[in-house]
Amino acid sequence: MPTRLPGSPAATLPVIARVVQSWSVPVVHVSALSKRYGGLAAVDEVTLSIERGEIYALLGLNGAGKTTLIRMLLGMIRPTGGSVTVLGAAVSAGERSAWARVGYLVEAPAAYPELTVRENLDVVRRLRRLQGSADEVIDRLALSPYADQKARTLSMGNLQRLGLAKALIHRPELLILDEPVNGLDPAGVVEIRTLLTELARDDGATVFLSSHLLAEVALLATRIGIIHRGRLLQGIEAHGLERHVRRRLAVTSTQDAKARSVLESHGYAPSDAGDGLVLTDDQALAHPEEIATLLVQAGCPPTRLVIEEEDLETYFLRIVGAGDA
Amino acid sequence: MREALWAEVLKVRRSRLLWLTALAFAVAAAMCGLFMFILQDPQRARTLGLLGDKAQLSGAVADWPGHLGLLAQAVGVSGVMIYGITVIWLFGREFSDHTAKDLLALPTSRMAIVAAKFTVAACWSVLLAIQAALLGLLIGTALGLPGWSAQAIVSGTVRILVTGALTFVLTTPFGLAASLGRGYLAAVGAMFAALFSAQLLAALGFGAYFPWSVPGLYAGLAGPDQDPPGFVGYLLVTAVGVSGVAATVIWWHRADHTR
Repeated sequence: MPTRLPGSPAATLPVIARVVQSWSVPVVHVSALSKRYGGLAAVDEVTLSIERGEIYALLGLNGAGKTTLIRMLLGMIRPTGGSVTVLGAAVSAGERSAWARVGYLVEAPAAYPELTVRENLDVVRRLRRLQGSADEVIDRLALSPYADQKARTLSMGNLQRLGLAKALIHRPELLILDEPVNGLDPAGVVEIRTLLTELARDDGATVFLSSHLLAEVALLATRIGIIHRGRLLQGIEAHGLERHVRRRLAVTSTQDAKARSVLESHGYAPSDAGDGLVLTDDQALAHPEEIATLLVQAGCPPTRLVIEEEDLETYFLRIVGAGDA
Repeated sequence: MREALWAEVLKVRRSRLLWLTALAFAVAAAMCGLFMFILQDPQRARTLGLLGDKAQLSGAVADWPGHLGLLAQAVGVSGVMIYGITVIWLFGREFSDHTAKDLLALPTSRMAIVAAKFTVAACWSVLLAIQAALLGLLIGTALGLPGWSAQAIVSGTVRILVTGALTFVLTTPFGLAASLGRGYLAAVGAMFAALFSAQLLAALGFGAYFPWSVPGLYAGLAGPDQDPPGFVGYLLVTAVGVSGVAATVIWWHRADHTR
């Protein structure tokens, strides 16, 4: 049998193959995942896949099934149907091979109140079988001033930081975070957003997070999934979000009734919006100046002509409403 | 399991539980000493106001075997509560403090975490029983009790330690109850139910067949005329202990952890 020398092409190829394979396999793969409690479907046939380096945000109202889905990803809840694979390992209560590479924060952050911040992190460090100290993550999460303070005395924001520190202590490949910016002040929100973006960009970490704040996840996520009543209603690329947001041209004229008939006679379909007219035709949205010209020529010039864009919350509620329907 | 054990020891060291349970056992030992002091000279105790005029003391003798036997009975009865509270705290606090979820997806197995909790509880229970025995010896010496012999001291001390061990074994189901109930309340209820049933069934003469009555009977709670619990009683105690641990491990492993 030929000997494989370290560094020789023969020895290197399997390593490269493993690396290539680990990059090609989705970090999280969820297939037709369901959890039923009697007649209630907490999670209903959810299928999704998350690639390495992505920041995937699961967006949903309270009770939409976000936490149940996250707990199933972590093997805390047994699915009634479907399967979950995390970092190539099929998730079950007994399968622990992926957990050394996964950091998580589920629901509200928790800590042993009688232990200091450092001791709480030491508990996690020990249970994760890590060497060294927790100083690095304490610095990273700006917890140094509180390191020797008992967890029971921490503010909600610092408790959230401690929760994130516990999730990040081992520089995980995959971070699963349930509402990670809950309880943080605006500066803390920006700080965590920057930290997560850097982790994905610089360390190649994959982030799976849940939130009910679309505006927040739109700034952070690369992909957004909207979940409602346990069903994944929509999966969209965050950078293409504006394409999904509804736009309309709002027109107020000196004579709205006349303006309406003029527009209709030119093939537009204006609708009444109470304080004027609204156009959703692509042509009108692309060329609002044509509408202005038409109305001026007809003797009912516009007093207001503006393209209104649906805000993210409205968009989210519209999608959720469609899900209800 | 080493990592889990380290974590559990740190949590216990930082809690007040350690001192409270040690204090409770010290009070139990002191009460036994007080009882011996009264028994030594009831008239003196009446003069000091430690004994009511109409109080009658019977069935106990103020000597070393009586003193250590009384202490063993105290360990058997109060141990169910004190050891029980320790086990309930070790498991229930993870749900009460919402930290259980942080123990579920780690390189350290859930079984190791459960085993570490029971190990810490067992070690602490042994230490408490040793503390009770040592305090008993100190108090007995201070009182100058008669009937000292190496055989009486060894058998009395062994009785205390074995009673402590039997009692601890019976507290493992309370770990399951604290896990199932996801907190303290259900487990405390289960503990009082076991304690009450043990007293009742022992009084009715069925104590030898009810596991939670066995430590008390072994310690001599039913009096010198009563037979110690037989093989069936000890077998039931073992079965309860093993089932408690196994069921708790299975629950942590298989249950839906929704909190």
